[in-house]
Amino acid sequence: MITYHCPVCNKISDKSALDLARHMVGRGDKVHRDWVNSKGLKYSDILALQFKTFGGEGYKALAAILEKETKVEEEPKVAKK
Amino acid sequence: MAKYSVIGTRVHNVDGPEKVTGSGKYTFDITLPNMLYGKILRSPYPHAKILNIDASKAEKLIGVKKVLTGKDTIGFKQGIWRRFPELCDEEILCRSKVRYIGDPVATVAAVDEDTAEEALDLIEVEYEPLPAVFDPMDSIKEEAPQIHDGVELNINVARHIEWGDVDEAFKKCDYIREDQFKCSSQAHACMETHCAVASYDYGGKLTVWTSTQAVFYVQGLLAGMLGMREGDIRVIKPHTGGGFGGKFETDSAQFCAALLSTKLYRPVKIVLSREEEFMATKRRTPMYYNLKLGAKKDGTLLAKEVMVLTDGGAYTGMGATALYLTGFFSSFPYKYPNYRYDGYRAYTNTEPTSAMRGFGAPQAVFAGEGQLDMLAKDLGIDPVEIRRKNGMTPNYEVPGQATIQSCGLHQCLDKIDEYLKNRGKLPPNHGIGIAAYGFMSGGIFNWFDTPYAFSSAVVRINVDGKVDLFTGACDIGQGSNTTLSMICAEELGVRLEDIRIHSADTGICPPDLGAWGSRETLMNGNAVKMAAADAKRQLIEFAAAKMAPNIVYDFDIKDRWIHLVDRPERGVSYFDIVKEAIRGKDGEAIMGRGHYTPHRKGMISPAYSFGVQAVEVDVDPKTGRTKLVNITTAHESGTVINPVGIEGQLEGAASMAAGYGLFEDQPMDEGKILNPSLGVDYKMIRTLDMPDTDILEIDTYEPEGPFGAKEAGEGLTNPTAGAIGNAVYNAVGVRITSLPITPEKVFNALKEKEQKEKGKQRKRRSA
Repeated sequence: MITYHCPVCNKISDKSALDLARHMVGRGDKVHRDWVNSKGLKYSDILALQFKTFGGEGYKALAAILEKETKVEEEPKVAKK
Repeated sequence: MAKYSVIGTRVHNVDGPEKVTGSGKYTFDITLPNMLYGKILRSPYPHAKILNIDASKAEKLIGVKKVLTGKDTIGFKQGIWRRFPELCDEEILCRSKVRYIGDPVATVAAVDEDTAEEALDLIEVEYEPLPAVFDPMDSIKEEAPQIHDGVELNINVARHIEWGDVDEAFKKCDYIREDQFKCSSQAHACMETHCAVASYDYGGKLTVWTSTQAVFYVQGLLAGMLGMREGDIRVIKPHTGGGFGGKFETDSAQFCAALLSTKLYRPVKIVLSREEEFMATKRRTPMYYNLKLGAKKDGTLLAKEVMVLTDGGAYTGMGATALYLTGFFSSFPYKYPNYRYDGYRAYTNTEPTSAMRGFGAPQAVFAGEGQLDMLAKDLGIDPVEIRRKNGMTPNYEVPGQATIQSCGLHQCLDKIDEYLKNRGKLPPNHGIGIAAYGFMSGGIFNWFDTPYAFSSAVVRINVDGKVDLFTGACDIGQGSNTTLSMICAEELGVRLEDIRIHSADTGICPPDLGAWGSRETLMNGNAVKMAAADAKRQLIEFAAAKMAPNIVYDFDIKDRWIHLVDRPERGVSYFDIVKEAIRGKDGEAIMGRGHYTPHRKGMISPAYSFGVQAVEVDVDPKTGRTKLVNITTAHESGTVINPVGIEGQLEGAASMAAGYGLFEDQPMDEGKILNPSLGVDYKMIRTLDMPDTDILEIDTYEPEGPFGAKEAGEGLTNPTAGAIGNAVYNAVGVRITSLPITPEKVFNALKEKEQKEKGKQRKRRSA
């Protein structure tokens, strides 16, 4: 099972890196913003792009990074006899 | 026997005689012995640090009893979001910083209003002006000044709604449109301005009479800000001259009057001036709307993507909910299989924005219905047909959000279609535009974190058969006292004149969340019906014992006659049984209790109303002026409790919403509202501007509502601006995508269109 773990607050998304990107931008607090900015992206640019373009373009750039850095593959838990 | 004897009858407001004779008491009319008068000093700067406040000269003025500033408060920030403290961001009396022109910095109590006003001029406030930002597009930039500590980029809240696979769905669309719209602000413009009389006694009890939509919110919020127990504060709402969403938080009049009274042990009255009402309360939220809509060739809507940036002004208010609801209602009233909404609310140094009738939905409908008409035209599909093809139906589930039970949208479309066909060919420059909409019957939101039921009621039957109905519901002019009295009378089987309602007084009424989100009829109606049924059951027990019929018979009460359902001629007088029941209960009055909180009804509301509105306009191409010719609405609100009430709501909503569509706006210069007065500056629809308004009756039944009823208040405000936009296009062929649709915008668009057509003709000739 693939999940994405927020590097700041450890919120887990079981959907996609895009979903986690939406969470990080949506939270918008300093620690989340700082993490985004530390990756060479600008939080305000992501936001502005969201309003200027359709299709979640602002989120996609962040999602590409999250895909690499926050993806966790877990073995499905199997009940032992 | 007829199904109902009270429900559905045409009834004038139960408090009408008091109002029309001028004998009804509003907060403004209340005068108490020893009462002082308060005034509030407000910031002239949109953004500034408060360096010092010197009130010594004001305190020395003869007649001044007290001057208070932020330093005299406990510093508790007001906000209805008790579950989310970071959103409680408004001090009311600012201690270190002001964030908009109108932010309160000091308050004065004096022997009369003139003295208090004079004292304000003697208070010396030293400010350090700070850079300010007035547009949300600017306030989210890195270089923008930070309005609240810890909120960089000024993003107040973000909201996201999504279902389906939007990106994949757009790939499958035959046709996609992307459009931008801009929605303006609007003042609530209540006839009665915000006002309060507060009286603190030596026993440590505070009583506040105030113009409010939610007495229990005010009680709880004042308790927090004053450091008191809720039970030591009694909030009473006298007659109220309108609210429209602007009066369900604590305001400066309530807080300053209460604070002054607690220091002085004397009653203090504060009435905001009309200018303060415009500049220093709350207003409708301006929004930037980006919409992407995709469909198949046959008009089947496959996907919609919505992005919204709202102007939050200086504080959160109820803006976070408006942000969510505008996203939710952007999907209404259609069955989008794939939908995505991202909304952001940005702080600016302007008057805070908040709830206003429709709560974000009128903006969604203006943008969404405009774009839908544009898409329908591009595809060559009739506007009614595209709505019929995609419209919601009964028992539809909005994925992850809501379950629609009753839904009469298609009946509404049929009626409007018939109306349009009967109207026939229109005169030149006339156009009819339609807009479809839906709205909630109360919100399933508990921002306040109250452990009480959302609504509750108590019914007491006295020995003479007169019924006292106690409810926390707030009648702010919309007629809920009448509606609830009718529901009580119907359920109990008595006449309307047998009911005496006591409402909106935290001292004697059971808790209720107040009048917002069109919740009173359904939520309070259910509580009242339950309380009446409880009392009725007790009466029937005595009647059954007295009559001793065969056990198989059921009892009911109609028109004061307690009888066997299948043998209605066999019965006993309601009055006789009341007397005997009270005697039989050892003298205790018959008491019934009821409460209502929605459960398992999704995240938004227990029920939704639907409707379609057609607006006919006459546009003068020489001036761009749009004249309203007719507003016809097919609105389904389940069982109609009081037809007169619905007609009143419709006319009021049409007037307010047409004003939003055509005139009303609050232009600013560096954060200062330029038109803060009624009459000349702030343009509103007046009686003579109103066209004929017609209602087309639609018969539906809402299983969750009392007697099948649901909302008919705010929802009616949603369609008009959108329908006007479509009507103007149909009249003269220009699409105005920003509100209000002023003559200047129409005139300029017509000129632009003319230039384009001339250019095309020149090209054709040269070719």
